[in-house]
Amino acid sequence: MANTKEIQTRINSVKETMKITNAMYMISSSKLRQARQKLADTEPYFYALQGEIARILRHVPELTHPYFDKREGVEPEQRKIGSIVVSADKGLAGGYNHDIVKLEEELLTMPGEHKLFVLGELGRHYFAKHDVGIDMNFQYVVQKPSMHRARNISSTILEAFNKGELDEVYIVYTRMENSMESKTEKVKLLPLETTDFKIMRMPLNMYREEIELYPSADSVMNSIVPNYITGMIYGCLVESYSSEQNARMMAMQSATDSAKKIIKELSVLYNRARQNAITQELTEVVSGANAQKRKRK
Amino acid sequence: MAEFSLKIIASDRLFYEGKCEKLVIPAPDGEVGILANHENMVIAVTVGDARVQLPGGEWVDVAVGAGFAEVVNNRVILLVDTAEKPGEIDARRAEEAKERAEEQLRQKQSQQEYYQTQASLARAMNRLRISKEGQRWNL
Repeated sequence: MANTKEIQTRINSVKETMKITNAMYMISSSKLRQARQKLADTEPYFYALQGEIARILRHVPELTHPYFDKREGVEPEQRKIGSIVVSADKGLAGGYNHDIVKLEEELLTMPGEHKLFVLGELGRHYFAKHDVGIDMNFQYVVQKPSMHRARNISSTILEAFNKGELDEVYIVYTRMENSMESKTEKVKLLPLETTDFKIMRMPLNMYREEIELYPSADSVMNSIVPNYITGMIYGCLVESYSSEQNARMMAMQSATDSAKKIIKELSVLYNRARQNAITQELTEVVSGANAQKRKRK
Repeated sequence: MAEFSLKIIASDRLFYEGKCEKLVIPAPDGEVGILANHENMVIAVTVGDARVQLPGGEWVDVAVGAGFAEVVNNRVILLVDTAEKPGEIDARRAEEAKERAEEQLRQKQSQQEYYQTQASLARAMNRLRISKEGQRWNL
């Protein structure tokens, strides 16, 4: 059996680790709260944008716009598919990064030329080792998602789309289902699908108010769509950030729990070893004394 | 005076919700004024200075970013990426952003970078102008 000193050192080292995991748990939970707040703040803007596109599509169903162009002329093998992958900058977040990478690998099996825009250190390192085309100039971190960053990302993506360097754009991110569960998801950003916007079916005899688009339908769509994409990306960034913090919080919680369990087991061992040592000492003293007594007789 | 309801939504918050008498917004080809019972319309909005006349006649300046305004059934929704009151604008930060954008514009950049800096320069200049106008009235 290990001696008391060894067990003592072990207990102390586990306690130190527990302090760290506990601190990380607290940090993640406060970051999560901030991220949630951010998401709640931006929701009205995003839903209003979505509602507006639906409204315009309802009133101008014959609208043709480059962002709705499916580019059906391009063969599946030659389609240039871009995907924005939102991973984390750091590990220690349970299966968070693993799930993202797995979903992206699934997407990579689709026919076509793939190009990756990876956010977050871990994902970038992973895909750099594998033989896939990554845009290396795309160096964004995922900490503190901001509108500014989302705007930069969306302008990069939209430019590539407009030039024909990309035919389809997906975003792979993690969505918070509820406070306990999160789910990795793949969403098509471009081209926009008219079916994504819930267009109300109205009876034919109902009066529809007419809406004029000023200066023109195109210019209105031009100002709405980039904002919509930006909003979408921002929403995904914030969702991912929240999920990351949530995953890390859970991972740290279970690490703290298992540290507590180890400490409990170790302290039982420690007590046993200490008792053993005491018993042994006593036996030695008693037997020594007995031997002395016998001598004197 | 006749009123209509106005909702200004910025990307990070609900900026204003309530009644309004007159609204002037910057469109790509000049300013557009909206009074009560305006025709249904969707108007593209560019970076600039929007002015709102609250019930009672008080005018309020708002620095807005790009977006659009929707007028339907005497309700106006102004949806922009940023909206700030003159008092909220950090003039020094705007000044720094303006200098940064001007320096970047002098350097060689890709077309996309050029548009980005141009847009941020427009935002910075707009913020500066509105914050200065606010100071003028406070004198």
